[in-house]
Amino acid sequence: MPRLLPTLLPLVLLTLLVSQLNHVLASWHVSLFVGGLLVVFAALRLDFDTGFAAVFLTGLLGDAASPVRFGTQAFLFATAFTLIFSVRGRLPRGEMLVSLVFALLANLGIFIALSLLLLAHTPLPFGVWPRLLLNLVCSQVFLALIAPWFFALQTRTLALAGFEPRDTSRRLT
Amino acid sequence: MLPIRFDQAKPFLTLGLALAAWLVLPVFFKSFLRVSFFEMQAPVDTAVSYTRDLKDFWSLRNHSKNELIEAGRDLARLNASYELKVQENVALHAEIDHLDGLLRLPSFENYRAEPARVARRDFSSWWQRLIIRKGSNYGLTVGAPVIYTGGVVGRISEVHAYTAVVDLISSPEVRLAATLEDDTRPISYQGALTSSFGPARGVVEYVPLDIFMLSNQTRRLVTSGLGGVFPPGLVIGTLTGVSASADGLFKTGEVQLDPRLAELTEVTVLVPLEPAEAKPAPPAP
Repeated sequence: MPRLLPTLLPLVLLTLLVSQLNHVLASWHVSLFVGGLLVVFAALRLDFDTGFAAVFLTGLLGDAASPVRFGTQAFLFATAFTLIFSVRGRLPRGEMLVSLVFALLANLGIFIALSLLLLAHTPLPFGVWPRLLLNLVCSQVFLALIAPWFFALQTRTLALAGFEPRDTSRRLT
Repeated sequence: MLPIRFDQAKPFLTLGLALAAWLVLPVFFKSFLRVSFFEMQAPVDTAVSYTRDLKDFWSLRNHSKNELIEAGRDLARLNASYELKVQENVALHAEIDHLDGLLRLPSFENYRAEPARVARRDFSSWWQRLIIRKGSNYGLTVGAPVIYTGGVVGRISEVHAYTAVVDLISSPEVRLAATLEDDTRPISYQGALTSSFGPARGVVEYVPLDIFMLSNQTRRLVTSGLGGVFPPGLVIGTLTGVSASADGLFKTGEVQLDPRLAELTEVTVLVPLEPAEAKPAPPAP
């Protein structure tokens, strides 16, 4: 648990940065979603307790600022985290490409799950899907662009706090 | 084999336990957590919003004196026209008060206008909201209508200490009673999420069957005043077409909302007045 704060800080930072970016993009009715990126590093590189707590708290932070039932995003993030954590033993999880692919897959899964949960009561459900698709494509491209920076930021934050990510990784194998 | 299997199942077991614990957690605890998490983020939104205002201020300072003189001249002309409108308004209000007194009607001036800056726009794939820089510190209340120069913005859905959240009329959560501008019959309006790069949209239901529209015709949709939340006559949008509903008893239609909704920087909240603050009803003659 001492790793929780340095793990949580970059996640909160990314959440706040993306919310400000979405403010700018609102004029074009485009929005970005990077939920998958918030999950992957913790799922692939950290121990279960720290990662689960960090991801769950980040989800709650997102839920508090959203008109969804409190805990919705937290449990979607936690589910994605658990699924990735359960298969990470069979993966070369130190590889950037693996992290990136899992971030994209997790983002896709969470995005679709949220859409199915939230759009049930929309008056024009089919009219919304083109917009969802465009937002999803934009989000995936954005995620792929910033993922290397974000993974490096998380690694560096842990290192600054005195936790060597490589050691952490080896310990949790 | 058993310990290995348990080890593999442990993450899922933890997730299940967490979900079960969350479901039985008391509602007040979840509400407290939600408010706490929101208030943690609010200073960031507010600080960024103030920084944006400061940036605008410094960019405006770069304008030349000639541009300022021209802007001042234009404003003086605008002020002169508004002065005339204010005088007309005073006369009209006096007339309304007189008629209210004659007919013993209750007064509708039960709102206080509270201007507020937009701290953040949150137009996601699933909802459309604004966060404004005033909250319970200015007496804002949940459900209060929010307007701007183009008409209705939406309704306050959450009030926090120094900020408030406004559900936009393009958000599916917003439903309100509306009428067509030259018609008094109420119809139901609901926000509908917009397509990207396009203007915001809404839908109307329960449109009377005798409302007809040509393919290139549009009609303004305004608030009806029914329900007591929104004052009557505020512009919602433009009805672009109607078609028969599935049951054939009414018609449904699509409403195009003002594109300026996506670029708002300042809005006005109509705060309902307490009965003691409200203007007293005119005395009976």
